[in-house]
Amino acid sequence: MKRVWPWLIPLSAIPLLLLLAYGFRLNPRDVPSPLVGRPAAAFALTTFDGQPVSLESLRGKVVVLNFWASWCNPACYDEAPVLERGWRAWRDRGVMVVGVDIQDTVDAAQKFMREFRLTFPNARDVNGQVSIDYGVYGVPETFFIDRQGRIRAKHVGAVTDADFRSKVEALVAEPS
Amino acid sequence: MIPELGQGALLVALGLALYGGLAAAVAGRTGRASLLQSAQHAAVGVFVLVIGALVLLTYAFLRFDFSVRYVATNTNLGTPFYYRITAVWGALEGSIILWGSMLALYTLVVIVTQRERAREFYPWVLATMLGVLTFFLLVMTIAAPPFSRLTPIPADGRGLNPLLEDTGMITHPVALYLGFTGFTVPFAFAIAALATGRVGEAWIVLTRRWTIVAWYFLSLGLLIGGWWSYHVLGWGGYWAWDPVENAAFMPWLTGTALLHSVMIQERRRMLKLWNLTLVILTFSLTLFGTFLTRSGIIASVHAFTQGTIGVFFLAFLALVVLGALGLLAWRWEALRSTGELDSVVSRESAFLLNNVLLVAAGFTVFFGTVFPLLSEAVRGTKVSVGAPFFNQVNVPLFLSLIFLMGVGPLIAWRRASWENLRRNFVWPVTIGVVGAALFWAMGIRSALAVLALTLTVFVAATIALDFARATRARLRSGQSALPAMAGLLVRHNRRYGGFVVHLGILVITLGVTGSQAWSVQTETTLRQGEVAQLAGYRVRFDGLSPSQESNHFRVIGRFTVSNGRARPTVMQPAKKFYPQESSPIAGVDYELGFREDLYLVLGDFTRDGTQATVKIQVNRLVSWIWIGGLILTLGTVLAILPERRPRPA
Amino acid sequence: MSKRIKFVAGGAVIALALAYMIYAGVTQSAVYFVTPSEIQAAPVAGKSYRLGGLVTRGSVKWEPRTLDLTFTLTDGKATVPVRHKGTAPDLFGEGRGAVVEGRWNSDGYFNATLILAKHSEEYKAPHDGEAGYKELMKSLGKKTGS
Repeated sequence: MKRVWPWLIPLSAIPLLLLLAYGFRLNPRDVPSPLVGRPAAAFALTTFDGQPVSLESLRGKVVVLNFWASWCNPACYDEAPVLERGWRAWRDRGVMVVGVDIQDTVDAAQKFMREFRLTFPNARDVNGQVSIDYGVYGVPETFFIDRQGRIRAKHVGAVTDADFRSKVEALVAEPS
Repeated sequence: MIPELGQGALLVALGLALYGGLAAAVAGRTGRASLLQSAQHAAVGVFVLVIGALVLLTYAFLRFDFSVRYVATNTNLGTPFYYRITAVWGALEGSIILWGSMLALYTLVVIVTQRERAREFYPWVLATMLGVLTFFLLVMTIAAPPFSRLTPIPADGRGLNPLLEDTGMITHPVALYLGFTGFTVPFAFAIAALATGRVGEAWIVLTRRWTIVAWYFLSLGLLIGGWWSYHVLGWGGYWAWDPVENAAFMPWLTGTALLHSVMIQERRRMLKLWNLTLVILTFSLTLFGTFLTRSGIIASVHAFTQGTIGVFFLAFLALVVLGALGLLAWRWEALRSTGELDSVVSRESAFLLNNVLLVAAGFTVFFGTVFPLLSEAVRGTKVSVGAPFFNQVNVPLFLSLIFLMGVGPLIAWRRASWENLRRNFVWPVTIGVVGAALFWAMGIRSALAVLALTLTVFVAATIALDFARATRARLRSGQSALPAMAGLLVRHNRRYGGFVVHLGILVITLGVTGSQAWSVQTETTLRQGEVAQLAGYRVRFDGLSPSQESNHFRVIGRFTVSNGRARPTVMQPAKKFYPQESSPIAGVDYELGFREDLYLVLGDFTRDGTQATVKIQVNRLVSWIWIGGLILTLGTVLAILPERRPRPA
Repeated sequence: MSKRIKFVAGGAVIALALAYMIYAGVTQSAVYFVTPSEIQAAPVAGKSYRLGGLVTRGSVKWEPRTLDLTFTLTDGKATVPVRHKGTAPDLFGEGRGAVVEGRWNSDGYFNATLILAKHSEEYKAPHDGEAGYKELMKSLGKKTGS
């Protein structure tokens, strides 16, 4: 005679395992920031190529504002190709990627951009004002700004392709 | 080239482990010796390859090979030679390799020692161990590859987490992982017992030493972790109920329960089901611990890398828990107890209660650790419970356990008579009561401290009583005192090894009680030449001086300390500034003592160096925690020595 | 009373005691995470909270002699003044995130018993670089070096 109830022992472990799996839903990389939901601070910088870039001029576009530094490895090394790929894939649909290089030397930063063949605009935050305005605590940090110029998400640490797509896709879908 | 070689070695090892595990399982079912032989060869191959990979990774660290991402993340050109080696296991990828190496080492030892002894179980043991190795190799090759490249190659690495630049970091992870992986062996035997249906005492007898060794290393890992926390983190404590600590503590609790409950199965053939469950639980908790700390689902002050690794561990945890418990259900009929408890007042009951309390403690720790998750899942509110919860719930449990520590070893098996109770406990209880009165008279007013110390005295008295009686018996047979005692320890090494371990735990209890009840601290800001006073110490601030080390800058405070007894000494707590860190790291200075430690932490200071804030702590009896660890070591060594049955005269 | 009943009763007593201890422990020491707006909307004096927000720029006042540290935490909508006795942890700073644990006081201050500031392993904070530290070393060396 086979008993059924001993099988309740392994079955009782299932809710516990499900609870642990639930933990994955919480993404510690999505940092609640007081800035989320509020208008992004205006900035006006000059790119390494000498072109002006400002938030004002990008109104109506989805802006991915990324703070980086050449000395930040491996996180910035990891996300540089991701940002470049994202920029190439989405630029035709009104997405702008802007890199802000902080606490860095010009030479090292240019070497970094050459090595990763970055084609989106990158600018130096010369006096650190932009990183202060955005409450940047470390690098890399990435802000996703919607067409109305509001910060919609803040990402801490390297952005992955999946992060980039999910955030940008939602913002692009919104009416301008 | 080197990194590819390392990664290649891990890939081949993965293939070998997978093959070996399957081959051993088939050999277990069919009894084909040639397959088993082949699985054995595969296991030896896995060992060589994993150790090889560890050596290659170490080599990459020593050579500053920043083309390896893991090296670039965890070291820089300033990292001293010594810490370049510890940096190998300073983060996730390296610790997984270390874990794998130890598991491979255990597997090798099992092959060498158990091949002949445990013939019936052996194929399944080998299959299980290789199965677990397969999982870790899968993690090493997919989720956390230690040899992955970083392009372009940075000129300098990021540097080791400064908190890990400490001698404790050589030994702590090694001991902890020897403990964690050590429980794989009893687990493998339990699986083998279930697979073969031989769920009697045989597997318990075979794994007793393995369990003790694993338990010991886990204890050691916990203690070294406490020591690291105490002298590096600069908060003056050794245990914070942080999820990472809890993760290692839970398997320790269930492992301790296991050590005791197997004795009942050995003696009375009871608790078959319970013992198997405990082994499965303990092993699962070692996996759960790693899952907890590495998946990032629970916030902890020890911030670890997060990533896909959590999913791997959860999947494997589910496989282990469901698979092993499923086997248990499948063998249900064979697991019914053949013995029965005779009386509520008996050694069996005491051990049973000890088990219930240990598992209950494990459960509360588990509950408190996952509570934030539970609360968020069920009610959607972010709530956490901290140290007060764990203390409040666990202190009564631990005190009861200490009481049982005195009762268990002396109370009679089956049914304790009044005569037995009187003979064994009148003296210890009397001594305990006298002790309590004495403590009260000494001015100790904390009820908890009095209770803890009284219980400690009571248990120590039971151990002394037992030892004295046994010695006297030997004296009567004509031996002189010292040889009689030594003979006892050697002949009954298992029993007295256990007693010595208990003594170690008592000494640790003393340290914990003392530090919790009587430590004092103050924080104050001093100008040059000013003096702060605490608990009889006078601490004078003499000034600050800068210095430059190979990979960081240091601001050293000079304080002259006198306590009226000894000559004044100079203490130099510092603040360390690492270029790769945005904030300084405290460099604690301390003077250890049997009675108390003096502990200085430099806080804020003015840039001209004329004023500094300093935290002064007088931590009482903390040293006894570390001394208890040493006693624990002695006891463990004694307990696992080969047993020597008294020779026939 | 038969043995079996004794064991079952004993087990039940232990289980109930444990359940009670856990329940009491959780209700007494559970700490709720709140944001400055949440706590200002419904402050309960004397209840334990963990309050998280950004340290407002220019709000940090530190009295080394009395060890009084005051600052305000903000989430952009509400601002809560916080009091703490003792040095702040190394990672604490203006414009950075911080979590404080303590109780709400009826005088409008949050009394923090613990300041938590943490950073993750791979996530690198902007550094002053060596230059900043070198300068600090120099200024100390001049004044106090013997």
